[in-house]
Amino acid sequence: MSSEPIERRVSYLGDRLKASRCKICGKEYFEVRDYCGNCGRKSFGKMESIDLFYEKGKLELCTLVREPTNKFTKLGNYIYGIISFHNGQIRVPGRLTDQIIGDNEEIDFSSLEGREVVPRFRRRYSVGKSDVVPTISLAFTFADEYYPHQEYKTVQPTKEYDVPGIVGYGVYVSRFRIKEGNIERAVPFIDEDAITAAVEAGKLALIHSGVDSALVGKIYVGSESNPYAVKPIASKVAQVLKLGEEEGDVQGVDAVDTEFACKAASSMFKDAAALVNYPNLGIKYAMVIGADNSQAAPRGCPGGELDLFVGYGAAAFIFGKHDVIAEIEGWYSCTSDTPDFWRRDGEPFPMHGGRFTGDPAYFKHVKKATSKLMEKLNLKASDINYFVTHQPNPQFPVRVAKELGFKEEQYAASLQINKFGNTYSGCSPIGLASILDVAKPDELIIITSYGSGAGSDAYLLRTTSQIVDKRQRQKLTVRAQADNPFVKYVDYPTYRRLKLGL
Amino acid sequence: MKTRPAIVAVGRTKFGEHYGKEPEQLIEEAWLAASQECNIERKDLEACYLSDCFLPITNKLGLEEGFLSELTELHVPMEVTRSVSAALLAACHAIQAGIYSTVLVGGIEKMTDRWDKIRDDLMLLEDTWSYYAGGTPETNHELMLRAYIKKYGITGEKLEKLNVALAQVAVKNHAHATKNEYAQFQRKITIEQVLGARKAVNKPLGLYDFAPISDGASALILTSEEQAEKMTPQPIYVLGISSATDYLNFPGRDDLTHFAAARLAMKNSLKMAGITPMDIPVVEVYDQSTVMEMVSLEDLGFCEPGTAWRNIRGDCQDGSGYYEINGKPIFVNMNGGLKADGNPLGATGGAQIFELFKQLRGEAGARQVKIDQVSPRFGCALEFEGFGTKAYVTILGRE
Repeated sequence: MSSEPIERRVSYLGDRLKASRCKICGKEYFEVRDYCGNCGRKSFGKMESIDLFYEKGKLELCTLVREPTNKFTKLGNYIYGIISFHNGQIRVPGRLTDQIIGDNEEIDFSSLEGREVVPRFRRRYSVGKSDVVPTISLAFTFADEYYPHQEYKTVQPTKEYDVPGIVGYGVYVSRFRIKEGNIERAVPFIDEDAITAAVEAGKLALIHSGVDSALVGKIYVGSESNPYAVKPIASKVAQVLKLGEEEGDVQGVDAVDTEFACKAASSMFKDAAALVNYPNLGIKYAMVIGADNSQAAPRGCPGGELDLFVGYGAAAFIFGKHDVIAEIEGWYSCTSDTPDFWRRDGEPFPMHGGRFTGDPAYFKHVKKATSKLMEKLNLKASDINYFVTHQPNPQFPVRVAKELGFKEEQYAASLQINKFGNTYSGCSPIGLASILDVAKPDELIIITSYGSGAGSDAYLLRTTSQIVDKRQRQKLTVRAQADNPFVKYVDYPTYRRLKLGL
Repeated sequence: MKTRPAIVAVGRTKFGEHYGKEPEQLIEEAWLAASQECNIERKDLEACYLSDCFLPITNKLGLEEGFLSELTELHVPMEVTRSVSAALLAACHAIQAGIYSTVLVGGIEKMTDRWDKIRDDLMLLEDTWSYYAGGTPETNHELMLRAYIKKYGITGEKLEKLNVALAQVAVKNHAHATKNEYAQFQRKITIEQVLGARKAVNKPLGLYDFAPISDGASALILTSEEQAEKMTPQPIYVLGISSATDYLNFPGRDDLTHFAAARLAMKNSLKMAGITPMDIPVVEVYDQSTVMEMVSLEDLGFCEPGTAWRNIRGDCQDGSGYYEINGKPIFVNMNGGLKADGNPLGATGGAQIFELFKQLRGEAGARQVKIDQVSPRFGCALEFEGFGTKAYVTILGRE
C-alpha cells in the first residue's frame, strides 16, 4: 500500500516549510492559505507565498521524547518542541536533529529554550522498504553549533566570461564522525541519506554563488546510494531548492540522475558547461551534485574491506558564464569495461575486485586521463598549481599523484579522505571544493575523477579574481566542516546503525 | 434553557482491557444497565446518538450504526459523533426542538485492540504536522507545562511545589478510583511513585501523569422534562451545554498555557444555566494529563490563571483530596478521572456524566460529595476532543 498523493502534499509543503502572508494585515500562516482568517473574503488573491527554508527560528519550548510513535523509534531519544519564526508570527512543531541523547542523560530544557535554530531538510520517519521516502524540514539544529544559519541573497552578476566555468559551489558533510587510527570519516545522522546530502550541498552552492535559483535550467545528481532504484534525487533537489522558473507546483528545470560509480557527478561537469554555453537556449546556469552515503558491507563480510574507508557527504557546483570563479579550459575522458567494483540491482552493498581495483583500474584510468589532458593542452605537471583526484583510500591518490609527477604541495591540500572518508560520487568534487576554498586567482587546477567500471574525467580549471570575492559568502567551508568543534564521534556499532538510516 | 432535557438513567461498563469482548457487546452492556435503571424498552427509543472517536480505525468497523441496528433490531435514526458530549449536545438540541422525546446517548471505544499502533493513531488525530515533526500524545502536555512555568515565572522552590501539586492530582484521582467499581485502576499510588516515574525517564511528566489506553462504553437516557418525571423520581437536568473549537495545530494557537475552547464553552454553558462557577462543587474535567486537569480548572473559571496548583488540599492519598477556592471546596474527578477511571475516548464523556448524575442524586456511595450534609445541586463536566481542539461543557442540576 502506498500513499504517494498524500506524501506529495506533505513533502511539497513540509520540505520547504511553505507559509503564507496576508498582504492586507500582514498576518502569517504556516502552510499555504488562500485567504486570511483575519481579513476574510477580501483577502482572496491577496495572500503571498513565503517559506521558511532559509530562515532562522527560535526554539520556544521543548521537551524530551523517550517513547516516540512507531515511525520514529529508530531516532532514539530526541528533543521535540515549538519553533517560532518572524518574532513569533509563525510557530511550528519541530524536533532537534543531529543529537544522540543517552537514556540517562538529564536535559535542562530552559538552557535550550530561547536558542536560535536552523531548519534542516531530513527524512521524516521510517517507512516500509517499498514506500516513498518521506522528507520534511521540521527538523532543526542549533544555529550556534555545527551548521550556522546563512542567508540566501541573490546577487546580480557583474561580468560575463568567454568560456563557462564554476560560479559557485557547496559542500555538505554531516556532523558525526568515526575515528579509527589517523582516519576520520563522516557518518550521516540516522535521518540523512544521499537525497538530504544532495539538497544540503545544492542549498550551500546557491548561497555561495548568489545565483537566482530560478535561473538554474538543469540539475544533474550523481549518486550510487540513491535510496530508490527508480526515482531521481534530482527531482527532489529541483523542487526543494526551487530550481528553474516556478509555475504553480512545477519547476521549469530539467532534472536527471546519473550513475557511474564515483564519477557520476564529475562526468557531468562538461555537459553542464556545454549546456550553459549553448547559444540562445536561455539556460544560464546548470547544477551538478555528487552525493553519497557510501555503502559498504560490514567488516568480515565479502566486500567488507570498503567499510574501512566509506564516508558520507555531497558537493554541488553551479556552472555558468557569469561571475565565474574557475574557468574550464579543457577536459579529457576515458573509459574501459573494467568491472573492478560493482553493485548488482537489489543488493545493499557493493563488491570489488580486490587487487584488481588498483593498477588495472584506478591507476590506469586516472593516469591516462590526466596525462592525455596535459598532453592535449601542452602542459607539464610543474605548470599545475593543484592536482585533485579520487580518494578511495589514503594511499591511492598519493601514489598516482607522484607517478604523474606532482609534488606534495600540489596534491596534499585536496586530500579529504582522512577527514570525511571516501564519499564516492562526492569524493573528487569535495577535493576540488577544498582547493577552490584556498586557491588564489589565476591558478591552474586539474581534477581527475575515477569511477569504477571504469573511467576517468580530467578537467583543467583556471581560477579567476572573483574566487576571492565570493569566498566570504560561505561560512560552511570544507575546512569549517573538517575541523569543527561541534563534530561528534561515534563508535563502530553506532556508525553502522546511523548509516543504515531510518 | 427553555425546555430542559433531562437524564433519567445512566449506565456504563468497567473501563480497562476487554480483550474477550466485541465492541458492540460493550455498548449493549452499558445500554442494559441504563435501561434497567429507568425501566425503558428499546422500542421506546426514538433515536440514538452514539459516539466513538476512532472505532473505524481501531476495529475496522464501517457504519457502526448498521451494526447496532442489527444488534438491537432498531431502525430509528442513529447518528455517530466523536464524543459522548457531542452526542449529548445533538440529542439535547433535538429534544429542545421537540423532534424526539426519548433518545439513547451512548459512547464506545475499543482502543486496546490496536495497542501497537494506538499512539500513532492518537497523534495523527491530534495534529498531523506535530506527528510529522515527531510529536507524541504526551508532548503537547509537556510543552504546555513548559509554557505555563515560563509564563508565570515559576522557579526554584515554587517549581518543586508545582511538580508535587501535579503529582497530587494523579494521587487524588487514583484514590478516588478505589471507590469506583467501574474504574480501570482501583488502586492507590503515592506521590513518590509519580515523581519517581518522571525521574526514571528524566522528563517533566511521567507514566503516572497520563491517562491510560482503555476500552469501555457508557450510555444514558435523555428525555424531555415532561416525560422525565414519569420515568424517574429524580431526573437530572441539562441546564447548560455548549461547545467551542480551537486550532488543530497547538503550536499555532495564541496562548499555549490555556485552552481557549474550554473557556468559551464554559462561558456559554454558565450563561445558559444562569449560575456561576461558585455554585458548582463537583466537576469532572478531562485530565488526559495532570497538567490538563490543572489548566482546565483555570479555564473553567474556578481558579485564576496560574494558580490552580496552589489550591489542592486534603490528603490526596487517602481520597480526601479536593481544591479549595475562595474558602469553598471543589471536588474534581470523583470517579478517578481519565487518569484512574480510564479514557476510552468515545465513552469517556459518558463516564463523566455518569459520575455527575450519581453525585447529584446522592447515589455515589463511598465517593459521595456532601455540601452541608446534602448532595450537590450542580455539577459540571468538561470534555475535549483532540488536544483542546474541541471543548464541550455540560452543566447538570437537580432542579
